[in-house]
Amino acid sequence: MSAIHLTLALASCVAAFSALGLAMDRHYEDSYGRGKSPSPGLRRTLRLAGTGGLLLSLWACLAAAGTAQGWVFWFGVMTLSALGVVLLLTYAPARVARVLQGGALLAMLCAGWAMAR
Amino acid sequence: MKEGFRQSMAWLHTWSGLLVGWVLFMVFATGTSAYFRDEISHWMKPELHGAPAASQVAPAQAAGQAVRFLEREAAGSPRWNIGLPSDREPDVRVTWTRPQPPGAPRQRPLAVQLDPATGERLAAPRATRGGDFFYRMHFDLHYMPALWARWIVGFCAMFMLVAIVSGIVTHRRIFSDFFTFRPRKGQRSWLDAHNATAVLALPYHLMITYTGLVTLMFMYMPWAAQTAYQGDQKTFFAEAFPNAAGSAPQKAAGRPAALVPLGPLVEQAQARWQGAAASRVVVTFPGDANAAVTVYRDGQASLSSNQASVVFNGTTGQWLEARGEAVPAASETRGVFVGLHMGHFAGPVLRWLFFLSGLAGCVMVATGLLMWAVKERQKYAKALAKGGRIGFGLRLVDGLNLGAVAGLPLAMASFFWANRLIPVATPDRPAAEIAAFFTVWGVATVAAIAWPARRMWQLQLALGGLLFALVPVMNPLTGGAGLVTAATAGHWSLVGFDATCLLLGMALLTSAWWLGRRKPAARAGTAPRSARAPQAPPPAANAPQPLAHPAAEPGLSPARHALAAAETQSS
Repeated sequence: MSAIHLTLALASCVAAFSALGLAMDRHYEDSYGRGKSPSPGLRRTLRLAGTGGLLLSLWACLAAAGTAQGWVFWFGVMTLSALGVVLLLTYAPARVARVLQGGALLAMLCAGWAMAR
Repeated sequence: MKEGFRQSMAWLHTWSGLLVGWVLFMVFATGTSAYFRDEISHWMKPELHGAPAASQVAPAQAAGQAVRFLEREAAGSPRWNIGLPSDREPDVRVTWTRPQPPGAPRQRPLAVQLDPATGERLAAPRATRGGDFFYRMHFDLHYMPALWARWIVGFCAMFMLVAIVSGIVTHRRIFSDFFTFRPRKGQRSWLDAHNATAVLALPYHLMITYTGLVTLMFMYMPWAAQTAYQGDQKTFFAEAFPNAAGSAPQKAAGRPAALVPLGPLVEQAQARWQGAAASRVVVTFPGDANAAVTVYRDGQASLSSNQASVVFNGTTGQWLEARGEAVPAASETRGVFVGLHMGHFAGPVLRWLFFLSGLAGCVMVATGLLMWAVKERQKYAKALAKGGRIGFGLRLVDGLNLGAVAGLPLAMASFFWANRLIPVATPDRPAAEIAAFFTVWGVATVAAIAWPARRMWQLQLALGGLLFALVPVMNPLTGGAGLVTAATAGHWSLVGFDATCLLLGMALLTSAWWLGRRKPAARAGTAPRSARAPQAPPPAANAPQPLAHPAAEPGLSPARHALAAAETQSS
């Protein structure tokens, strides 16, 4: 598992779970204030981005660790990032959007690098 | 039976989890530590901390050097085992059995650690079981025959599997509560924590419980194999375990013959595996005409626990057989399950992910156990308010919870301290370390059952936390390489051990502090105190977190509502 693939897997997974969390009313409210809810378009975008992020993370794991270990890796990475996102949504809900953007940006950079090589 | 499916599953989840929860917590905690079994063993032998961190010696050369040592010190032994240096284990570990008359009781093999470059003994390390103690306790328990222990642990693991599956059925809102954690909400927070650690690491929990049962499946369910092979154990094992049988001679010829140099054989085997490293070499009947050399492949090469190996004739060096390359599908499936459980294939990152998932499992079991007590206590709210006492069952569960969840970390930390404080010359030193572990755990549990109160939680958590957090201080003072020394020398496993102990200790201290943050509403919920009668909130003395008033606590998860409903119906 190269460092670049590991960063890609973790960053895209954290971003994906943040997006999936923000697509839910309860967590959107926590982040943006009571009574606010994401517009249908935003919700769809967040969910699509979340799914895409998880798939990107899976790709990174499979590409770096091979098919057999890649899946084990992916589940481990998902557990770790989901626990992190739960803590984030609980204790710093206002920062979730920024973590989502940062994670997505980092994932893009790593993905570009990993594919260019 | 008017209850719905989900209610009955909730009942099953509650009771299957409670019944075996304490053993499961121990199994999870010791099993999680066993991912770093070699690292723990290394830390527990401070005499070896000065050796170079990474081996610069090729396995083939190290094997050759080890043979020189064995020919000098272990001549006449029927079997040599040479553990080759790797990233995790920089030394060469040789073990050998002494020749003994047939029928004599089996002796433990002798073990010595060698410098891979020179083949000479490293500074004799202190006698200790090291990380192997936790590893064995994980399925063999201690102070009892291993066979009983494995049945007990297997029974508990089966209940764990039942608890996991029924828990999934019970937890109706897996996806809508996926990211939900609501702190400072009493029972709901416990439920959220239980759900989060269970659901988010669910693939791991399912995998580890199921594969744990698979590791001992031929013991738990031997009937299929017995029927298919009509009692022919030998053929069965030969087909099920690729390394069990072989064309290596089973008897010494009685004629002396020189052993072939091992280095070229190791290189030959590694070339066959496309460069995958060899992990160990076994020589049977060294020095005899019937000598054979088996080279085993490193576990990191594949997910399966079926290690590939190559057998050579020990006098001519002639290639005899390659094993474990075309394993039958059923055997390979089992091998992959067992391999997943043990995690030998995992590199450092994956090993840490396994470790964290294992910690999540500990938290899951602990929160589940505590939740039972928190819920049960509510039933006594009125009686307690009138100065009554809680039932025997709840008191017992409180005590056992405390002894398991707070007492075990305390005992584990004490084991590390005992490793450094018990004099090196003590006779039967490994047993003394283990006795220290069980003494501390026993005292903690007896104290917990005698006085299962919030103060006791604080005391045991704080003690365990202090012992863990001070490990990095104690380590350099008692002959080990401290954080800075180890980091500069590149001993990352030692750095990892100290840092993990520090973090665990801080986590335990934080929970002890957190318990004391609020004034305990009623410290002695277990004793009749009529003077406390006017107090409105139900005392939550023994639970680590004060409960909100039941009336102000409507938001149990629907599943728990179902459980409550089922209980009212049945009563």
